[in-house]
Amino acid sequence: MTASERGRRLRGSQKRRILQAQACEALRRMNILIVDDERKLNTTLRDGLQGEGYSAVSSFTAEDAERVLAKEEFDLLLLDIMLPGKSGLALLRSVRSEGHKMPILLLTALDSVEDRVLGLDAGADDYLIKPFAFAELLARIRALLRRADVMPANVLECAGLRLDLAGRCARRDDVALELTSREFDLLEYLMINRGQVVSREMLARDVWHETSRYTTLDNVIDVQMTRLRKKVDGPFELPILHTVRGIGFILRA
Amino acid sequence: MNIWRRLKTGNIRWRLTIWYGSIFALLLLVYVCVASVLHYYQLKAQIFHDEIQDLETAEGLLYETPDGSVHLNEQYFNQPEMPFRLERMLEVFDEQGHVLLRNAKLGERSIDRDLLKQEGRKSYNERYGRLSDGRRVFVISHVHRIDKSVVVLRMAYETAPVFNSLWSFVLRLLGLVPPAMLLAGFFVFNMTKVALSPLSTMVRRAEAITAAQLNERLPIADPDDELGATARAFNDLLARLEASFAQLRRFTADASHELRTPLSSLRSTGEVSLQRVRSAEEYRDTIASMLEEVRRLTQLVESLLQISRADSGQIVLQREVISVVALMDDAISVVEILAEEKQQTIAVECLEPIQIFVDRAIFRQVVLNLMDNAIKYSPLGGTIRVAIRSRQGGLLEIRVCDQGPGIPKIEQTRIFDRFYRTDEGRSSSAGGHGLGLAIAKWGVDVHAGKLYVDPEYCCGACFCIELPLASSYAVSV
Repeated sequence: MTASERGRRLRGSQKRRILQAQACEALRRMNILIVDDERKLNTTLRDGLQGEGYSAVSSFTAEDAERVLAKEEFDLLLLDIMLPGKSGLALLRSVRSEGHKMPILLLTALDSVEDRVLGLDAGADDYLIKPFAFAELLARIRALLRRADVMPANVLECAGLRLDLAGRCARRDDVALELTSREFDLLEYLMINRGQVVSREMLARDVWHETSRYTTLDNVIDVQMTRLRKKVDGPFELPILHTVRGIGFILRA
Repeated sequence: MNIWRRLKTGNIRWRLTIWYGSIFALLLLVYVCVASVLHYYQLKAQIFHDEIQDLETAEGLLYETPDGSVHLNEQYFNQPEMPFRLERMLEVFDEQGHVLLRNAKLGERSIDRDLLKQEGRKSYNERYGRLSDGRRVFVISHVHRIDKSVVVLRMAYETAPVFNSLWSFVLRLLGLVPPAMLLAGFFVFNMTKVALSPLSTMVRRAEAITAAQLNERLPIADPDDELGATARAFNDLLARLEASFAQLRRFTADASHELRTPLSSLRSTGEVSLQRVRSAEEYRDTIASMLEEVRRLTQLVESLLQISRADSGQIVLQREVISVVALMDDAISVVEILAEEKQQTIAVECLEPIQIFVDRAIFRQVVLNLMDNAIKYSPLGGTIRVAIRSRQGGLLEIRVCDQGPGIPKIEQTRIFDRFYRTDEGRSSSAGGHGLGLAIAKWGVDVHAGKLYVDPEYCCGACFCIELPLASSYAVSV
């Protein structure tokens, strides 16, 4: 299985994981270990994750991480590959060989296919290439933490907006919305991630299926969002599609 | 040991000298051997020839006394002209093999053994023999008639003086070998020095050339010889290196410059924001604006990374057979919304279904960049024409023509340079950093195609992709 195939598989199952997660909102506080020698990034991530309601612990070297792992149980590991001393990949292998089953998300500045395959083969569940959007990190973490399989819902609903995924039709307050195929995909993605910010990179990749990171579809995405907003929010009192400046978009009632 | 190692490695001068010297010595030795052998055979023939003459003389000096005994008149001594003063030894037998006479020089010794059959009758039987005291001699025999009786004469010359002379001849020749070798070695050593001196000059000059002064060239002493060819090859290499270093330097400088702009706006946004206390709303605004700059930076870095990977050949194409029309439709479905915003029409003209064998992601990128560019530069309500057709010579041609201001002739090639921007900023398309067209050109080049601006097209800019079809098919089948 190539890295991109894995990536596609992960993203494919992401939808239903999130659906299921939102079905049981009462989560216990998930415990996350962050291993990254970049102090500023590490502490920022820790604060950010804590702000999102997770319990997060920072560790700056692989050796330190091993000590922490021996004492405490974690639900998820955020792991940088390039660490001083023992490398992230070595840590990854030893963690897996010791029988830890928690999902591991690699954070890496190396983005060649070989590097990614190496990481996934060593036992990682997903990877995120630096620099990444925090919104995307949250989305990946949510996807990884909710592993139980449930039947995907066929209908998504939020603030009077109702999406029929099987029939591919959308209604808001019982008014049918005339959406193009792309607009429907976009709205579906926003609905699945409702309440969470999605970045333009996530949209480019998951809605427009653009695989290269250096292609920017920013103007395309912005125009598409403007149009979608006209249809979804235009005739209605309560706007649900919001732009979060500098980060991306959010669907929120 | 040391010399053997030098024969295999070490500097060329020493190796040449040692090899040449050894071969020269070998040849000299063969020469000495051949000369000595020839000399030996010549000497031997000469000796026997003289001996025969001497024997004939001796025959004339034999006389028989009435009592039947035979004597030699040694008073008469007719020595032939000989290189050696060899003294004759003579022995005379009767036909039964009884000794009739031994001359004074021979004394009591005998020459060789008993008489052979027919000895001396048909030839002189030239041969090596031994005296009874063991000395080696040249022996000849001859039958002679004195009055009524028949006698057999045996004559012998000692070999020792002849072999001594031969040996001293050989020694003298051998003695000449070492000085000849030294002389030859000396000449070779100095001649190679002269012959290789352009090489040492080249080495000195090459050692002085660093990345900082790639404009230097190696001296070419004689452009027609091998060293000249070597120097030319090195100079061509230097020229190519110089060109790519120059490109790299320009690229690095341009890249740094491009990075500087978002960085400085990041910095000043942050600094201005911290000058005084502001409302939470203002801070949010500042941070958002900074994040926008970060996005620009990130995209620039991704593009730079892509280009540097392409330059170092790290990108492996993942080719697959795809339909050109499907690919174009996919690309158009992404950008058509931008055209709609400007009330532009995208007209696709394709008469035949054509399959190509390309890396989908890279080729899609090429098309996206060109389409994005065309939309950006076409006026409101304009038309973007995309024409796909196969051409003679197994080529696929994709033309993307806009109704924009067009590209001046002088810029039509430079527009693909990295970071190149016209006054209107044309090439700052999809990438937004003057890299869009550079990446597009790379994407076509790696598929062995050509991307160029059609110089004939007059009502706007027309980008033309040429892709070999035959080879694409050959690989796919």
